[in-house]
Amino acid sequence: MSDNNVAIVSGAARGMGKSFSERLSAEGYKVVAFDMDETVLKNKGVHGLVADVSKVDQVEAVVREANELGVIKVVVNNAGTWRRTPVESSWEQAIRDWDYIMDTNLKGVLMLSRASIAHMKAAGGDIINVSSYYVLPAKSAGTNPPDTDLYNASKWALNGFTDAWAKYLDEYGIRVNGMCMGAVDTPMLRGLYPDNKLPDEMASVVMNADDISQQLIDIIDSGRTGENFGAWVGEQISLGDRLPLHRRITG
Amino acid sequence: MTELKDKTAIVTGAAVGLGNAYAKALAKEGVNLAVCDIRPEIDQVKDELAEMGVSCIASTGNVSDPDFVKHFVDVTKSKFGQIDILINNAGVWGASVADDDMEKTLEDYENIVGTNLKGEFLFGRAVIPLMIDQGKGGDIINVATDHMVTCGTPYYYCEGNSECPHQDDPHGIGNVGGGPRPTGGGDAMDLYDASKWALNGLLYGWAKALKDHRIRVNALCMGATDSYMLRSFHEFNPSDEEVSQWMRAEDNAKVMIGILKEGVGGRNAQNHQFCMGREVVLESPRPQIYVLEDDVKIGGQSHVG
Repeated sequence: MSDNNVAIVSGAARGMGKSFSERLSAEGYKVVAFDMDETVLKNKGVHGLVADVSKVDQVEAVVREANELGVIKVVVNNAGTWRRTPVESSWEQAIRDWDYIMDTNLKGVLMLSRASIAHMKAAGGDIINVSSYYVLPAKSAGTNPPDTDLYNASKWALNGFTDAWAKYLDEYGIRVNGMCMGAVDTPMLRGLYPDNKLPDEMASVVMNADDISQQLIDIIDSGRTGENFGAWVGEQISLGDRLPLHRRITG
Repeated sequence: MTELKDKTAIVTGAAVGLGNAYAKALAKEGVNLAVCDIRPEIDQVKDELAEMGVSCIASTGNVSDPDFVKHFVDVTKSKFGQIDILINNAGVWGASVADDDMEKTLEDYENIVGTNLKGEFLFGRAVIPLMIDQGKGGDIINVATDHMVTCGTPYYYCEGNSECPHQDDPHGIGNVGGGPRPTGGGDAMDLYDASKWALNGLLYGWAKALKDHRIRVNALCMGATDSYMLRSFHEFNPSDEEVSQWMRAEDNAKVMIGILKEGVGGRNAQNHQFCMGREVVLESPRPQIYVLEDDVKIGGQSHVG
C-alpha cells in the first residue's frame, strides 16, 4: 500500500474510534483522528485533532488538513452520541435532544462525508458508516431499548446514506458500507450501567473493539460495497456471503 | 371496528396530494380536522372540508419550525378539546447526491430532513403527552416510502413465505427477475431516503413507549402514488402510461382509514407497504415477533434464528 494513504476517523479519542484509528495506523495509513475530547491528542501513532463533527467549519478544517497529509482513502464515520430521549420529555427537552443526537449522528456523518468525497473521487476509497445492530430489519429491527427514538432514528437514517452513496460513487471507485454492531466493550456501553460496570451476563459475552476493527479492515479488503455488515454478540464475526441485492442493507 | 365519527385528527401537509386525500377521507368519516401546510392554499382546503360537514381549522406554516408545531397543536387541543389521530404526512423531495457541495447540502438537510423527519418528530412529541393525558388511546400514522422497506415489518416475513404478496413484485426498482424489491430509491435520494429510513426509529420507539397507553403507531410506506410530489419528479409532465400505473391517493387513504378503524388491539408498530402494480388493499398485519416486547436488553443477543 502507498505510504501516502490517509484515513480519517471521527470520534477517535476512545472506544471504537480509538481502536479503528490505531488499527488503520498499523495497516500503514496516515490517520487523522479527531474528537471533541482533547485526549485524542495523546493517542499514539495518529495525527490527532480536536474538532466537533457537528460544526461544519471544523469538519472542513479536518478534511483540509487530511488532504494536505496525503490522499484520503478511508473515512470512518464513527462519532456518535447516545442518550435516552423519553417520549414524555418536556417540549424544550425534546428540541434539545433532537439537536444533541442528530447534529452529531446524522448531520455530522453527512458533512464529513460530503467534505471528504470531494477529494476522494480521483483515487477511490472507502467510506464506513458506523451504525447499530438495531437497524437490520432481518435480524433485530425494533429490538431497541425503550426511550431511544432519536438515537435509533439517527442510525436507521444511515441506511439511506449507505445505499444511495454506494450506488452514486461506484463509478469513482468509492465503496460505502455500514457496520451494525451489537454490544462492544466501550466507554459508551459502560456508560449505560451504574458505576460504568458491565453486568456479569454482559461482560461474559460482549465483543471487543479489536475484533470489530479487524472487521473494518476485512470490509476494506473485500472490495464490497452497499452493504450493512452485522456483528453479533455470541456469534463469530465475519462478513458472511454477499447477500442478494434486496438484502444488502436490511441484513 | 372503531367508529371514527366525532374524533379529532391532525393532518400535516394537507393542501395537496396524499395529505389532501387523507383529510378528505377522514372528513367523510365525520372526523373533525386540524390541517396545516406550507402552502397558503390550505385555507381553501379548510372550506372544502367544512362543506363536508365537519369542524375544521387550518394554518399555514413549516412543520420543521418548533414554534409553529407547538402553537398549532395547542390551538387544536383548545378548539376541539381532544386530539385522537395524528397523520404525520408533510414531506418534501429534492434531488441530493453524494458529491453535492456543502452549501447545498446544508440547505437540503434543513429542507428534507427538517420536513420529513424533524417535522414528524416534532408533531409526534407535541401530540403524545396530550394523548397520554386524555387517557383514551389514539393513533399516530407516519407517512414514509417503500424505499425503506422490503416487505413491511418484519422484513423476513417475506423470505421463504409463499403467501407473502411481495414475493413476485415485478415493479421494484432494480428488481431484475422478480422477488422482493431492494431498498433505496436511487442515487439522487440520499437525504430523502435517510429521512424516511429514520422514521423506523420513531415507529418502534413510540409504539413501544405508548402501547400501555393504547396509542398505536403505524407507518404507510408509499410506492408511486399520483400526488404533487410524484408529479414534481416528472416535472409535472408525466406520460399517460406512467400515470396509469400509479396508485391513487384516494385508494391509499382507504387503507389508512382501515387501519384507524381497527382501533385498540389493532396492528401496531407496522410498516404498511404500498406496491405499484398490486391492488391497494388493507393487508393482514404482519406477525409481531418481538418488536413490542419489554425485555429487550441493550446490545443483547441476536433475537432471531
